[in-house]
Amino acid sequence: MSAVRRWVSGIILTGGSVAIAPQIVAQQEGATPDSVQRSLESRVDELDQQVRILQRLRELAADSAAAAAKDKVTATASPKDGFSIKSADGKYAVRLKGLLQTDGRFFLSDSAFPVTNTFFVRRARPILEATVGKYLEFRVQPDFGQGTTVLFDAYSDVKVAPAFAVRAGKFKPPVDLERLQSAGDIVFAERALATNLAPNRDIGLQLSGDISTGLFTWQAGVFNGVPDLGNGDGDISDAKDFAGRIFLQPFKTGTLAGLGFGAGGSTGLERGTTAVPALASYRTPGQQTWFRYASSTTTPTTNVFADGRRQRLAPQAYFYTGPLGLHGEYIESWQAVSRAGAASVKLKHTAWQATGSFFLTGEKNSWKSAAPKKPFDPKAGTFGALELAARYSELSIDDATFPIFASPTTNPRRAKAYAIGLNWYLARAIKVVVDYEHTSFTGGTAAGDREPENFVVTRVQHSF
Amino acid sequence: MRGTLKTMRIRLAAPSPIALLALVAGTGAAAAQAPKPVTLLNVSYDPTRELYEDFNQQFAAYWKGKTGQEVTIRQSHGGSGKQARSVIDGLQADVVTLALAYDIDQIAEKGGLLPADWQKRLPDNSSPYTSTIVLLVRKGNPKHIRDWGDLAKPGVSVVTPNPKTSGGARWNYLAAWAWALRQPGGNDSTAKQFVARLYKNVPVLDAGARGSTTTFVERGIGDVLIAWENEALLAIKELGPGKFEVVAPSVSILAEPPVAVVDKVAGKHGTKQVAQAYLQYLYTDAGQEIAAKHFYRPRLASVAAKYEAQFPKLTLITVDEVFGGWKKAQATHFADGALFDQIYQPGR
Repeated sequence: MSAVRRWVSGIILTGGSVAIAPQIVAQQEGATPDSVQRSLESRVDELDQQVRILQRLRELAADSAAAAAKDKVTATASPKDGFSIKSADGKYAVRLKGLLQTDGRFFLSDSAFPVTNTFFVRRARPILEATVGKYLEFRVQPDFGQGTTVLFDAYSDVKVAPAFAVRAGKFKPPVDLERLQSAGDIVFAERALATNLAPNRDIGLQLSGDISTGLFTWQAGVFNGVPDLGNGDGDISDAKDFAGRIFLQPFKTGTLAGLGFGAGGSTGLERGTTAVPALASYRTPGQQTWFRYASSTTTPTTNVFADGRRQRLAPQAYFYTGPLGLHGEYIESWQAVSRAGAASVKLKHTAWQATGSFFLTGEKNSWKSAAPKKPFDPKAGTFGALELAARYSELSIDDATFPIFASPTTNPRRAKAYAIGLNWYLARAIKVVVDYEHTSFTGGTAAGDREPENFVVTRVQHSF
Repeated sequence: MRGTLKTMRIRLAAPSPIALLALVAGTGAAAAQAPKPVTLLNVSYDPTRELYEDFNQQFAAYWKGKTGQEVTIRQSHGGSGKQARSVIDGLQADVVTLALAYDIDQIAEKGGLLPADWQKRLPDNSSPYTSTIVLLVRKGNPKHIRDWGDLAKPGVSVVTPNPKTSGGARWNYLAAWAWALRQPGGNDSTAKQFVARLYKNVPVLDAGARGSTTTFVERGIGDVLIAWENEALLAIKELGPGKFEVVAPSVSILAEPPVAVVDKVAGKHGTKQVAQAYLQYLYTDAGQEIAAKHFYRPRLASVAAKYEAQFPKLTLITVDEVFGGWKKAQATHFADGALFDQIYQPGR
């Protein structure tokens, strides 16, 4: 207060005494030096008040602006969170996201099992997420890719605390690692062979928690139960599957900060019928079916069907450090099966995969898609990010499957695949993918091994 | 607690199985009866900070002694109207102690958080203490301010908060209006003209009474602060009589700040009993003493007589007799587009 006064007084009395005082004296002829002094002091006081008032008004205006900002509903658009409208307190929000993948698929040297080379829309998913109140969130994600409409996600979360949340609806059961990675974030265009042995989507109720910001995460739930690779919208029996997963990231800092490991699994009973066998078929990375249980349209009573315990176990790990990312998992899947005229047998199929990728442009590798350090901008001379990737995976069918439950002359006993790929991130939201994957088979024809699949896929992906 | 100690003595003197059983039963019962600690939120208006800091401590000690229960009282302060809106919007107030009844009426009407007849639940229209509006000037009263009329003179800078957000500001405004009505030939038209001239002399409208006190006392803005009596007396006490003087106008208004339990919130928190006791304690000798020490006029005659000398003698009118009650006063003067909006135009 006194500083302001001194400041104003200083200016007025020093400069003003030269410039103003003579004018006042001139205006008030006959005025005494005391009256001039009083007049000057009066003016100083007036100016002092004006300065203080202006300062206070500015503060009040700033307070009003801050208060108004607190009550303001915000609309945002970003490649990370899509388009959103959010209440001032953040308790209510609607977010619109999307994923669009346009593929070119090319099969080389496919004389024995010819597959049409084609362009097609692999995934077209509008994603709606909402926050309703302090604890409730929900997400709906249909997919219109490949000319069909399939509901992938439709669930609500009650997030009581980071260490405890409840999810109900249709979502990914907590079993294998690569399936739990978002379709927009996976390293290769298609997931590895190992993912064949895990469920895709199922309907159920799940409890989960995150303790100490990722140090220990857990999920446990009850589901209708679906076959391997299944995406279910109902159940065919009263029995339910139980699925669970734990995952640890024990190091918060240091070289091992990006290490995570854990295990997922499921167990349940599945009783299929010859009409609805409730059994899986397995696909190559090129999405061609290479194994299916015996079935016939002419004599359906001989079809193989699920008939008892179904279990899965999937130890898994990942490691990210700088531009390098590694992840891998091993999966065992048991399923009791039956067929007319044969005893029920519990079959165990196994698979594993290891994937590595490296950012040639130095971006930090992670479980999520990378944001390029320098997004693609020809005018600025920047290119985006380049990621080089390699993968190996295998899937082995239980020997006891053949010949009763599947024909050895049409179904290989094993598939092995190696892949290399290049990902070009033009921006966080736009990725171009080129992959080559070679899949070889053991058995599968009367003459010996099935012809290998040589699969080239190109993808333009837009996700936000 | 005493019962538990007695039981321990019996056990030491005669460690029989029966005594042991008595000990276990007694300890279990005591543990079962020990009330859980409880927290209250008192949402109040701007100048009551010091009053309730003092009062809360004494009430907590009283309640602990009476029931054995620990009670913690949290305080929230701001412009009375603004505080009422916060409670309507979800601020979890167990009790409200606001500047005027209209603000609590709004909580009842718009929030549905307490019954409409809340004011009948405690004595004196649920106002355990009163206050009034006075004028605080700088030492020596350099602008020679003696009464309300001086505030509208050219060259006088007046500090008062915004009636849109502050309960105290509404009391200030109505006190000035009431004075103008009592002048020779006074009517609503002359009162409006007078109050309009007064507000032309107001350079800054703070959101609450405490903000205005800070503007006047600490920032050195203005020649006169229209203030709660308690706020003016507190400023003199805190800053010394050498800096400010209280000017008692010829007429002022009887301000009756009311208090109420917010039934739905207290019910949800399980704090209704302690919240009721908290407000009732304001009416006791101890509560009234605390109010008087903080320059609020006590209702209890014995305490009022004891502190009579510290309050200037004023002619006090009431909102009911001059303005027909708070509901009417609000609609006529402070609603959007009403008289205050017509009178006060920022920047002019």
